[in-house]
Amino acid sequence: MGEGKEIAMSLFSDTQVLFVRAVKKLIRTPILLFFSLFQPIIFLVLFTQLFSKFGVLLASEGGFAGVSYLSFATAGIVLQNGFSSALQSGTSVVDDLTSGFLEKELVTPVNRAAILLGRLLTDAFRVVVQSAIILGLAFLLGAQFATGIPGVLVIFLIVAFFGLAWSGISLTIGLKTKSAETVFALGGILTFPLLFMSSALVPTALMPKWMQAVSNLNPITYAVNAVRALTLTGFVWTKILEALGIIGLIALITMGATLYLFRKVVS
Amino acid sequence: MSDVLSVQDLVVVYSDGTKAVNGIDFAVNEGEVFGFLGPNGAGKSTTIKVLTTLLRRTSGKVSVLGMDLDKNQKEIRTQIGVEAQETVVDGDLTGRENMILQGNLHQMKGKELDDRVDELLRLVELSDVANKRAAFYSGGMKKRLDLASSLVHRPKLLFLDEPTTGLDPQSRATIWKHLSKLNKEEGISIFLTTQYLEEADKLCGRLSIIDHGQIVTSGTPSELKADIGADAIALSVEGFEGANGKSEKAKQVLEGIPGIANIMSSDDGLTVYAKNASTLVPEIVRAFDASGLKLSSISLSRPSLDDVFMKHTGHRIRAEELVKPPSRMMGRWGRGRR
Repeated sequence: MGEGKEIAMSLFSDTQVLFVRAVKKLIRTPILLFFSLFQPIIFLVLFTQLFSKFGVLLASEGGFAGVSYLSFATAGIVLQNGFSSALQSGTSVVDDLTSGFLEKELVTPVNRAAILLGRLLTDAFRVVVQSAIILGLAFLLGAQFATGIPGVLVIFLIVAFFGLAWSGISLTIGLKTKSAETVFALGGILTFPLLFMSSALVPTALMPKWMQAVSNLNPITYAVNAVRALTLTGFVWTKILEALGIIGLIALITMGATLYLFRKVVS
Repeated sequence: MSDVLSVQDLVVVYSDGTKAVNGIDFAVNEGEVFGFLGPNGAGKSTTIKVLTTLLRRTSGKVSVLGMDLDKNQKEIRTQIGVEAQETVVDGDLTGRENMILQGNLHQMKGKELDDRVDELLRLVELSDVANKRAAFYSGGMKKRLDLASSLVHRPKLLFLDEPTTGLDPQSRATIWKHLSKLNKEEGISIFLTTQYLEEADKLCGRLSIIDHGQIVTSGTPSELKADIGADAIALSVEGFEGANGKSEKAKQVLEGIPGIANIMSSDDGLTVYAKNASTLVPEIVRAFDASGLKLSSISLSRPSLDDVFMKHTGHRIRAEELVKPPSRMMGRWGRGRR
């Protein structure tokens, strides 16, 4: 009993210590934040302008009457940022692995689970901060926010959860290959195909048939639809729960793989 | 509990079949500085990783601070300090933050931790730069910070894997000074590995020479040297290149001189061992003159640990193995952990 409580306490305090370390690192290398925000901001500012006339098509054939392309695309861009930054998560683990920092942690009595938990919390934190910046900018540019602040909080929840599920892929690759380049390359290769073959930038109804089929299998589509409902319509709980369910399923798989590989590294 | 470390018949075989450690026995007494001297790939780091709970051994009996390595891992981790071969400091954090982090991972906090960190920063002479990011530290400063951060939780036994490899001579001397002080003043027992003869000689009370995963000999540095039983005379002969005709001829010349105990050839010349070496020098010179071989230099030395190493392994700890590129460069990307 006493020992169980002690382990729970150390899990909590060690996770906190490692989370604080990672957040400090994040804040002190703002260039990293800048780079991961650069692409979504370009999309938000330039891409939505480039396709501003697309709003007409959205109304006539896409089923989104009276919605500017900026308002439409905001949900997609927020999630694009969510998964592209989550796909980099593995690099920090590779860094700790190759620099010897992980070994330095492992020769201390630190709670082993806290090492992974601290990492995941940091990833979630990072995604939420970046989403806040993107949503703030979108708001200033005139995007719609149908559900206000409470809706934004639900968006944070979806994006954080979504980020964790994708972090798992990146962490798995990182732990498996121990190569930061591979993790980076993976992020670069996956980002655009997954983005284009989802409802992030164009409603599914406007896609060619084969792409509709792919998009309907793409988990990003469900997360985007939930966030889009929150920004354009209101609290559509069926969509929100559907998104959380699908994300949860992915998280279960990717976290399982991460945990398995992490235990192998740690033991 | 007089042994802080006791190792019996330790064997480590990697999954690819490499036998990194092949049946070693040794013990470290409380308050002692004990060293493993050996070249790269001798099994030094592997041994340290096993003793510090990072790597599973294949077989053997190990007790650390009187505790069983299998049953008391967590307790062992609270009482040992470890400094890995690669310097590990977080460049994004300040020197002080690096140390506080280590203390936190050992469940220390508050004033007790702050005081301890201040004390150690003073000890390793980093107080002035404690609030600067460690990324801006020199190699020697990073190593000192790494050393200090492994001491935050007041370990009873310190493991150092090649504590000065890759450092310049001045930084190396500073680290030696700190280690001696820690051992004498705080009574910390130290187990270290090194490929530097001078380091083993200077720091270690006792040492084992390790090669190909096996201990070839053990003792105090002076015992080991006395065991050679003679001074060393190093000769270089013009035109001498390993095992050509000249080396055979030079050996014959030397064998004809009474009092020469042992002739060893290395890449650049010959080393002979003799009891009263200084009186033999004129005779050697005369004998070489008579033979037509030209001596380009002759030098006399007390036996060094290098001679001890040579005697037991048949080769020297080669100088080129001592020069390593900065480990950070190779460690940063892509390389799998050994």
